Amino acid sequence: MRPLSRTALRPYVCPSCQLGRLPARRRYASHSSSNGPAPEIYDVVCVGGGPAGLGLLAALRASPVTSKLKVALIETQDLQKARSWSLDAQHYSNRVSSLTPSSVSFLKKIGAWDHLDTSRAQPYQEMQVWDGETGSRISFDWSMETSAFEDLRTVATMTENANLVRALLSRIAASGDENLSLFSNSTVSSITNGSDTPDGPNLSAWPVLSITPTGSAPSQPPTRIAARLLVGADGINSPVRRFADIATDGWDYNRHGIVASLSLADLDPAPFPVGMRTAYQRFLPSLGGPIALLPLPNNNATLVWSTTVENAAYLKSLSPKAFLAMVNAAFRLSMTDLQYMLRMERPATAVSDLEDPHENELTWRLEHTPQPSHIPPMVTGVQEGSVASFPLRFRHAATYVSPRVALVGDAAHVIHPLAGQGLNLGLGDVASLAQTIEYAVHHGMDVGDLLTLERYAGDRYATNAKIGGACDVLHKLYNVPGNGPVAWARSLGLDLVDRVPFVKGLLMKGAEGW
Amino acid sequence: MLRPTLRTLPSTLKSLTTTRLHSTTTTTATTSVSPNELSHFSSLASSWWDPQGPSRVLHLMNPVRHDFIASCLAESTPITTIPSTPTDAPKRNTLRYLDIGCGGGIFAESLARTIPTTTDPASSTPTRTRAAEITALDPSSTLIKIARDHARLDPVVEGHLETGRFKYVNSTLEEYIPTLTSTTTTPTSTTNGSQEGGKKFDVVTLFEVIEHIDNVPGSITPQGFLSSCLSMVKPGGWLIGSTIARTFPSWIVNQVIAEAPWPVGVVPKGTHEWSKFVNPGELQAWVQEGLMRGADGGARRGGSEVLEGMSWRCEGVVYFPGLGWKIVKGSESWGNYFWAVRKGV
Repeated sequence: MRPLSRTALRPYVCPSCQLGRLPARRRYASHSSSNGPAPEIYDVVCVGGGPAGLGLLAALRASPVTSKLKVALIETQDLQKARSWSLDAQHYSNRVSSLTPSSVSFLKKIGAWDHLDTSRAQPYQEMQVWDGETGSRISFDWSMETSAFEDLRTVATMTENANLVRALLSRIAASGDENLSLFSNSTVSSITNGSDTPDGPNLSAWPVLSITPTGSAPSQPPTRIAARLLVGADGINSPVRRFADIATDGWDYNRHGIVASLSLADLDPAPFPVGMRTAYQRFLPSLGGPIALLPLPNNNATLVWSTTVENAAYLKSLSPKAFLAMVNAAFRLSMTDLQYMLRMERPATAVSDLEDPHENELTWRLEHTPQPSHIPPMVTGVQEGSVASFPLRFRHAATYVSPRVALVGDAAHVIHPLAGQGLNLGLGDVASLAQTIEYAVHHGMDVGDLLTLERYAGDRYATNAKIGGACDVLHKLYNVPGNGPVAWARSLGLDLVDRVPFVKGLLMKGAEGW
Repeated sequence: MLRPTLRTLPSTLKSLTTTRLHSTTTTTATTSVSPNELSHFSSLASSWWDPQGPSRVLHLMNPVRHDFIASCLAESTPITTIPSTPTDAPKRNTLRYLDIGCGGGIFAESLARTIPTTTDPASSTPTRTRAAEITALDPSSTLIKIARDHARLDPVVEGHLETGRFKYVNSTLEEYIPTLTSTTTTPTSTTNGSQEGGKKFDVVTLFEVIEHIDNVPGSITPQGFLSSCLSMVKPGGWLIGSTIARTFPSWIVNQVIAEAPWPVGVVPKGTHEWSKFVNPGELQAWVQEGLMRGADGGARRGGSEVLEGMSWRCEGVVYFPGLGWKIVKGSESWGNYFWAVRKGV
């Protein structure tokens, strides 16, 4: 219980109070660095070219106040490849995120949305969430607040991460290459503090990065750049966070998230109003977490199934046909049925399509299980090679800022994916940091100074802790199997929320701002 | 309402009473600093730039200074003609700033950071402060050293110090004025409007200084000091400052609460001299008197006609813990306020 109480307390600790100390150790190096000529000086250096890092760069380039800043981005992957990413209309990447309306409006504001292939993005207007143990349900849509003549409001928009990254890259490219350096295919081999030049500036408190192109000869000297502000958008094992000596704590959920790109049977009856799409999430307390099916264009969908490590390994080892049977079963059958099916022996040799044991089991059991009206259409196909899994973790850095260092996205926080908020929190960080930098430039502040950065940390820390904590509590609540008091209480809560429109409206408005 | 000022004054005043003395008899004032004050001041000096240190509330006020200056410039930007491009000259970054009582350089450095790094700031995209150069004065050599050392931590600011667009001068105003009227010329003086204006400044700033000037007979009074400040402003330019009002709420906060025994009080008894605080009305009267004296010639006395072109602004600010400083209309008499006067053209 200790970790839980620590998270619960965190929102009440003023972030600026946590900044009272300078990091004792400011050094990150995979091997010793060389002292070459004076480093080139940049205003903002971002390590990591994922949606958060690229989002920050695009936001800085888009604002007239910050567009003159000299910025750099370092990414280990090939950004050129990400720029030319393309898939046909029937295939979808399995890394898909649900963008809240506030994330979408941020992307519109910085001009990145125009570069997104919106034919591959799918907004949905309704969300069905129910408890697989007790059957109690909550449906999220705006119908009670929207008149019949208006378009239904969007709950969220499903977008492939690759589509978003490509859009951000072309937005950045559209801003020209003045004062911009993209170090693609490059790793940060070391981060150290700079030095004090007797008759020049004193950079002894500035981070200096050594950048090595991947696969280059070891004899080649690395590029050295100094950062007025070093932004860590470099993921859960952030080297920038290690350099700044910022502690992070959290735990592993001992769960894996299974993702897959699926195709669906035609909706019957056809959705009304036309174009209305629904996301489905069923909590499976006995199996370790919820299964969610989120809509993609052309009757495709993406799957996120959080479950125990053993179940995940079992599911990944199934044939496509058996896997589909399990996904359909997970939205329809009882916990007992599902537990039985997850222990069925897998045929050692390939069986003919007609005789898949999982499929037969599902067909037989469905005949004996009454179905509610809100279940998703049957899943009919799984895209080859799209079934994958990733470990679910919770992390929260002790602080987001240190002199000349700021952390954004996964480097600052990793949360349970059950509400699909991870990427949105990252974009929220980036929007806030870009705004902070703009404020600093406007007011003659040093963008790397703690007085500047504490504005960003103060803006984001409590929000992120609240949402990460809420997802954590939901995860724990929906992992109590059986029909005990916890199951009864959570169902009562869900039913109540569903029946009192005022509370539900508040929740959904809160969710929009997530 | 009480808490803000309570939180503010200790740090602003502690730093200022000892350091930003711009008083009176120039030479004796700087040498008459008592050993007590010196040691108190040295302990403060090391933490001048510590964002969590005693000067924190002062640091937090700095962005509001920029906002207030921007609002003054929005009302009227001093026009400095550039011969080649007279039409869009007001839009460019041509303004010369003088910061009197710069202390450790909190404001001066932030203003220097807004000067474009291009070879000709005047012709680059307009900034919010329109600054082309800044000179910062302080009588304390220790503080000037702290300011210079801190400036070296930022290559942009350090670069401006090297080109001379940014200057720290260890001097009182009274000592500094004669050096301007002698042969010195500014290195990047592209902005000479008139013969007279060339030595003067478009914006003179006076943040948290005026309330530390002794009002005793026989020495330079706050009014005399303000007249000197006004004499440095070009016609059409601004004199901008901030100070604390001498009113009943501020007396409660500063004398009764802030100097109460620990843990209520946060400053040692005797730190504040409430009687030296200045009310907006008094300040405005001093400024008007100063403007008229400035117009006094050898043969004639300046009349109220010099006041016709002048413009007066005053806005109260309140410190909200956790939120920072906010401009609150009508709060001028509660405690801290900003004021500005524009000299008639």
